[in-house]
Amino acid sequence: MALRTYSFGASVRGPLHRREGTPNEDAWLRAEGRFGVLVVVCDGMGSKPNARAGAQAACAAVKEAVTRWAKVEGAPTSLLSHLIEVLWRLRLHPIEPTSAATTCLFALAAAKGTWVIGGVGDGLALVRSASGLRVVIGDRHESFSNETSGLGVTKGPKAWTLIELPPTDDERIAVMATDGVADDLLPERLDGLCDWLIDTFEHQQPAERWRGLAAELQNWPTPRHLDDKTIAVLHASASTSKETK
Amino acid sequence: MGWAKYREDIASLWVNNNYERNEIASPPTRAIAKKRNGEMIPKQEKKMSKLKEFVMPTARPMPVIVLADVSGSMSASGKIDALNSAISEMIEAFREEDDSRAEIHVSVIAFGGPSASVHKPLCPACQMTWEPLKASGKTPLGEAFDLARTMIEDRDAIPSRAYRPTLVLVSDGVPTDDWRQSLQELLKSERASKAMRFALGIGDDADHETLKAFLSCAEGRVFEAHEARQIKNFFRWVTMSVTTRSRSATPDSVVMIEPTDLDDFDF
Repeated sequence: MALRTYSFGASVRGPLHRREGTPNEDAWLRAEGRFGVLVVVCDGMGSKPNARAGAQAACAAVKEAVTRWAKVEGAPTSLLSHLIEVLWRLRLHPIEPTSAATTCLFALAAAKGTWVIGGVGDGLALVRSASGLRVVIGDRHESFSNETSGLGVTKGPKAWTLIELPPTDDERIAVMATDGVADDLLPERLDGLCDWLIDTFEHQQPAERWRGLAAELQNWPTPRHLDDKTIAVLHASASTSKETK
Repeated sequence: MGWAKYREDIASLWVNNNYERNEIASPPTRAIAKKRNGEMIPKQEKKMSKLKEFVMPTARPMPVIVLADVSGSMSASGKIDALNSAISEMIEAFREEDDSRAEIHVSVIAFGGPSASVHKPLCPACQMTWEPLKASGKTPLGEAFDLARTMIEDRDAIPSRAYRPTLVLVSDGVPTDDWRQSLQELLKSERASKAMRFALGIGDDADHETLKAFLSCAEGRVFEAHEARQIKNFFRWVTMSVTTRSRSATPDSVVMIEPTDLDDFDF
């Protein structure tokens, strides 16, 4: 069965940056190419002066990395983290990487059918398939909120979590979110969140979808929330009822 | 870069420039009733979002746990009265704090009498009613450490989304139980070891070695109070440190306010 891959997302400034008149320090990217379909979410660390530039450079670096990686038949997934680290630093130059620290989470539906999901830092990266829902990043067990690693913070690819999923004919969804979203999600309702995102937004026209999803993020229900908020979805489905990309 | 549509992809569109996007308007709702086939159509209600079903209905907690010495010696020189007053003021200040990203939760563990006990369980400061502590008996500090560790390790009481807890130890004497083992367990605990720790020694008999060991870092400073007002000043400093953190963009890594002297907070 041929699957169609949908991808969408949105990012909004949080109340803190709106109040201060400063820009969104989250960034996200969706891209399609010979490599497949990619979504990336990055959260520039608020205490760093070049956080916004770091997050945007990370999105671009992930796209460049998967483009190069996908061209090499049988390239190991672990090389992606090395590539992203190096390309991110190159894109930032001459900005000092530690002043542009950012988290970086991504999901790639590769053209060959495999999926690669993971990243570095906090937030949420989950995948739901026929075998169930799996939180790849964000299953916080011992630590507390706001303890994070990321590009420019933790050196080396060992800080990365990357998983590769084999090709499948079954439906599969990946949801990526920065901590402004992830920290307030109910862990037991992640399944419902996936369904809601697909049912509500997937088949909307892009402009309507972007407005709707951004409005949801701006009207975030948790009291006292201040962070920027970003969410992105990658969904492979047999559904062909409407054609929206 | 990909071919993002309708400003969907902020990294593709805004990378390497400083353009600041306009705020996003909510989806348009029909404000005026329309007439169709001669019939009035009722005004369309804005659809209620289902998002709240998947999102926490409460703010992220920032726990503050006070370990208060209520041994018999605290009844001398008005120390227990000053401590009660200072904690009460702190809770009041947290209750009025409405500019923070966190909801400040407070608990008070009292160690005195025959054993340590949770005088006030962890709850939002805005819901707390303060009942004064009474001083009597020994100084079972080790038991207080055990209670604090148990509280911090309880993921129902302090969820993972909480900001790093603050532990405040106030004592005027030498512990009467085996506190070293309990402190080691507190410092070894994955969660409890991440707590920020403050210590105040009251009077000349305070055991600075114990308080310093509790801070567990060379640069940690044990504050000293020789008068009742300095106890209040210490708690004012704790209050300012906690509220500053709670307003910060990075509440777990903010630099603490460093008073040169507790008298700086005599206002």
